[in-house]
Amino acid sequence: MRQPVLFGVRHLSPGAAWQLRRKLDEVKPELILVEGPSDLSDAMISICHPKAKPPLAMMAYTKESPVQSILYPFSVYSPEYQAILWAKEHACPCRFMDLPAGVFLSLQRRRQVEPDRERTTTDSVYNRLAELSGDEDHDTFWERRFEHWTAEDGYEQAVSEFGRQLRGCTMGVNLEDAETVIREAYMKRQIESAIQSGIAPERIVCVCGAYHVEGLESMEPMTEEEVRALPSVNCSSTLMPYSYYRLSTRAGYGAGNKAPAYFELLWRAMEEGNLEAATYWYLTRIANFQRQYGNMTSSAEVIEGVRLAKSLAMLRNDTVPCLQDLRDAAITCMGHGQFSEIALAAADTEIGSTIGELPEGISRTSIQDDFYRQLSQLRLEAFKSDIAKPLDLDLREKLGVQSERAAFMDLYRSMFLHRLRILRIDFAQVGQNRQERATWAETWTLRWTPEAEIQIVEAALLGDTIASAASFALRERAEASASISQATEIVRDAFLCGMPETVAYALGILQGLAIDEAAVDEMARAAEQLSILIRYGDLRRLDPSPLQPLVSQLFVRSCLTLPSACNCDAAAANSLTDAMERLNTVALHHEFLEEDRWISVLLDISDRDDLNTKCSGFAAAILLERGKIGEELLSREMARRLSRGIPADLGAGWFEGLAKKNRLSLIARLSLWRQLSEYLDTLDEGEFRRALVFLRRAFADFSPKEKNDVAENLGEIWGISPLEVADAVMRESTQEEKDLLEGLRDFDFDDI
Amino acid sequence: MAEQEKIQRLPAEQMFQKEIQALMAAERDHIPTGWKMSPKSVLTYITGGTVGGTVITPKYVGNRRLVEIAISTLVTDRALLLIGDPGTAKSWLSEHLAAAINGDSTKVVQGTAGTTEEHIRYSWNYAMLIAKGPSQDAMLKSPVYRAMETGSIARIEEISRCASEVQDALISILSEKRLSVPELAMEVPAQKGFSIIATANTRDKGVNDMSAALKRRFNIVVLPAPADMATEMEIVKTRVAQLSEGFDLNAALPEEDVVEKVVTIFRELRGETTLDGKQKVKAPSGVLSTAEAISLLANSMALAGSFGSGVITDEDLAAGLQGAVVKDEEKDGLAWKEYLDAVMKKRGSRWLPLYKACKELNP
Repeated sequence: MRQPVLFGVRHLSPGAAWQLRRKLDEVKPELILVEGPSDLSDAMISICHPKAKPPLAMMAYTKESPVQSILYPFSVYSPEYQAILWAKEHACPCRFMDLPAGVFLSLQRRRQVEPDRERTTTDSVYNRLAELSGDEDHDTFWERRFEHWTAEDGYEQAVSEFGRQLRGCTMGVNLEDAETVIREAYMKRQIESAIQSGIAPERIVCVCGAYHVEGLESMEPMTEEEVRALPSVNCSSTLMPYSYYRLSTRAGYGAGNKAPAYFELLWRAMEEGNLEAATYWYLTRIANFQRQYGNMTSSAEVIEGVRLAKSLAMLRNDTVPCLQDLRDAAITCMGHGQFSEIALAAADTEIGSTIGELPEGISRTSIQDDFYRQLSQLRLEAFKSDIAKPLDLDLREKLGVQSERAAFMDLYRSMFLHRLRILRIDFAQVGQNRQERATWAETWTLRWTPEAEIQIVEAALLGDTIASAASFALRERAEASASISQATEIVRDAFLCGMPETVAYALGILQGLAIDEAAVDEMARAAEQLSILIRYGDLRRLDPSPLQPLVSQLFVRSCLTLPSACNCDAAAANSLTDAMERLNTVALHHEFLEEDRWISVLLDISDRDDLNTKCSGFAAAILLERGKIGEELLSREMARRLSRGIPADLGAGWFEGLAKKNRLSLIARLSLWRQLSEYLDTLDEGEFRRALVFLRRAFADFSPKEKNDVAENLGEIWGISPLEVADAVMRESTQEEKDLLEGLRDFDFDDI
Repeated sequence: MAEQEKIQRLPAEQMFQKEIQALMAAERDHIPTGWKMSPKSVLTYITGGTVGGTVITPKYVGNRRLVEIAISTLVTDRALLLIGDPGTAKSWLSEHLAAAINGDSTKVVQGTAGTTEEHIRYSWNYAMLIAKGPSQDAMLKSPVYRAMETGSIARIEEISRCASEVQDALISILSEKRLSVPELAMEVPAQKGFSIIATANTRDKGVNDMSAALKRRFNIVVLPAPADMATEMEIVKTRVAQLSEGFDLNAALPEEDVVEKVVTIFRELRGETTLDGKQKVKAPSGVLSTAEAISLLANSMALAGSFGSGVITDEDLAAGLQGAVVKDEEKDGLAWKEYLDAVMKKRGSRWLPLYKACKELNP
């Protein structure tokens, strides 16, 4: 009986691609069936587009979240890709014949429930095979046996036999095998229906994994009923550029190979009819790279490398060196025996940084189109590369340029990149600003990867453009936010993305949350964030006025709750002083806030004795800084807080709060230190020790310079010259003093 | 006692004569000019196997690929430079390569600070030179000279210990493949098959660094310390067995457990971390190579055989370890003590006797 030609291949194999093309030339088929989702056959037209450059990948993804996706990568040396190209060149019909993508995704979902062991079993066969043949690993085994096969015949039989044997070793062990059976039955059905449509069987060429050849020979075709019973999910598909780097990490359908750039060399060499050329190309490319990066590499070394590689191959009865031989030769002759010396060159030559290209408007999702359109409008196309590059943005308006677009180019870029960040697309990473608080400058690191492309496609569920998707994502997140700090963050993000409607939407949610909020530090933080947006909003050309009422609201609420919140323990006091500092900054910056209210709150806190003394001290410090407390009032307050009879920890706590701010002005006030000195004089031995411990803590975060100034102040009060003070501070402590200090360690804190 | 058996250490080609003969008898592949067997047979000789019923013992265990590279280098008549830490079997490999390829591993120049250019080229029998004037008869040929004449392999040990002018003398030999003798107005062309295997020590870097010009004439293969515990134990066991046979040590071979302990200690101190990678260890100044582990065990066997029960005790081992690890009293002593207390002490009962014995020497 006449049979269709079942051509077994290894995915991503230059040898198979080369043999396949010869086979096609010989058979001149009327129909080519390729292993791949049968509902994606339309993508073939785009794949063959003259402007499309591999590596490319077909991607199918579920339409509901969580998005699941499946990838079919093609490189120039993929047998499948070459089959499709051949078909186009010879005007021969060509279709994919495997299960539709929706069925694959559905099966994948099921498999996630039951973990997959398939890989480990074939891997163990692969490993044993390499062990038996004495090859380093399976890739080397395969390359030595199959990739250098340029003989006229035998390849097809050998590969089919390999697949058959492998099948014999592993089939029937796993759930995956059930899938294989289903797939093969489906493919068989496609083949049968092609034959029934009147094409002579021997004029049909089926390109499939070597593993499937036996299955396709023996399997019964799937019945109509069975086809209908296949589970399926709703899915869409798209094409995307792929990268050699990603191929080398072996992700996606049909795995990949470790050295795509080298395999491309091999493919080109085979096409030229001179397999050995790959050896020369590989070693000269390494040498070139080494020279470019300043490592002397002579032609003599390349020649020696070629000779060594060939004699290494000879040891294995091979005429053409394989990758392992080439790399070892390069290490020995150019790397002085160390791989590390040529590691970069090897990565460049074996993996490379090639990425694929798709012309505009070709079967992409609209969000992909939008992404690339923006990329070109914002002149970011140079960053569509597999190598990370930095980008510095200056958001200020550029003067002296013609168009508005040019003047704000960097601002638009920033908004675009922030939108990508919101969509969690790893195309751009925002970096640390070199200049602190330079809100006009941003540093980004940009790197295009297939992963980023996949994330873009996944974002297609959220909207048709980057902007609408980002807006949708932010709204969704705003609705889910539970605290005002989360909501504030979203307002800020929307602001950075330059999306006023989303800002307004998120503000509404923030307002709702703020009404129920009671924690002063949360409110202060939110108020501060919003205040920054108001202050620098015009930089992003957004109207900040909608933010003002909310800041006022947060501010007033904070003022009302702050005094009672200050009745707290030492741990909470720190966050409260931070909140006070924030509120003070906010109050200073905005005229629409009532300053009087803030001052009176502070005076209240500063005066009251029933609050945490650190908070009171800090309130006094703010008032002092703003000139609301006079010299006299300060000294009176100091005398009241630091007097004998008040527990030392309370007094020192107050002083700690006071000294948190404007230290220089405190140090300059000699009268203050005189009071401190007088206070210390009133204490007896036990009280002094106690006070010492707490004061020491109060001074803990003073800088050495500040401590020195304090010491000099006290020295002046005690009538000691600065020189003597310096001497006293600098000299080694005596044993007696050490003992005294040691004694303080045993201080009993239990009552605090 | 036969003449051969009196010799302390036979050259490789005599020690493994049977294996070499078996390989030559079974030869089927192409033999390069000047070689005694095909490159594949050389590989089998070094990495072991079976040929026509004769078991070929592995000479170099570990990285088979490195051996392939070394042999391929010699096939292309390039000179081979083996680099590695002390005790990574550089000389051992070089000797066996020469033995297998030429059946003669004795053309050796030992590189020292006192090696002169004459050792590489030729010198004269001065009495004859004065009596009869320069002639071929008055000439004393260096091993390299003889190798060139016969188309075989000369070995240069520790090349980086030679002064740079001596190293330079090699450059012209390696690039021109001929040696000129101006006194006799003649040139000696190297016969096919001539090559040089040199070894150099990474720890000697900077003593007499090799010039770029000379390095360029060698293919460089770096020999690593054994990659894993099992390989290293295998090497140690095989070599100790071979040594004890040669030296009549009168002691039982060290037990598996003893070898494991020694190799563990050496690997941990060398790698500066415990085998499980959980704890940092301070490395002593000396090189704790596999070769040292072998000689340590052989020493312990000698101790046990001559002064003890014939079985290696923990005390013998402790004494050996002390000598191997503590090369610089103050610094190494501290590192060793730290290792004893921080690592060995916590290893449980199996290690306790050894710990106690070591601790006794390091109170």
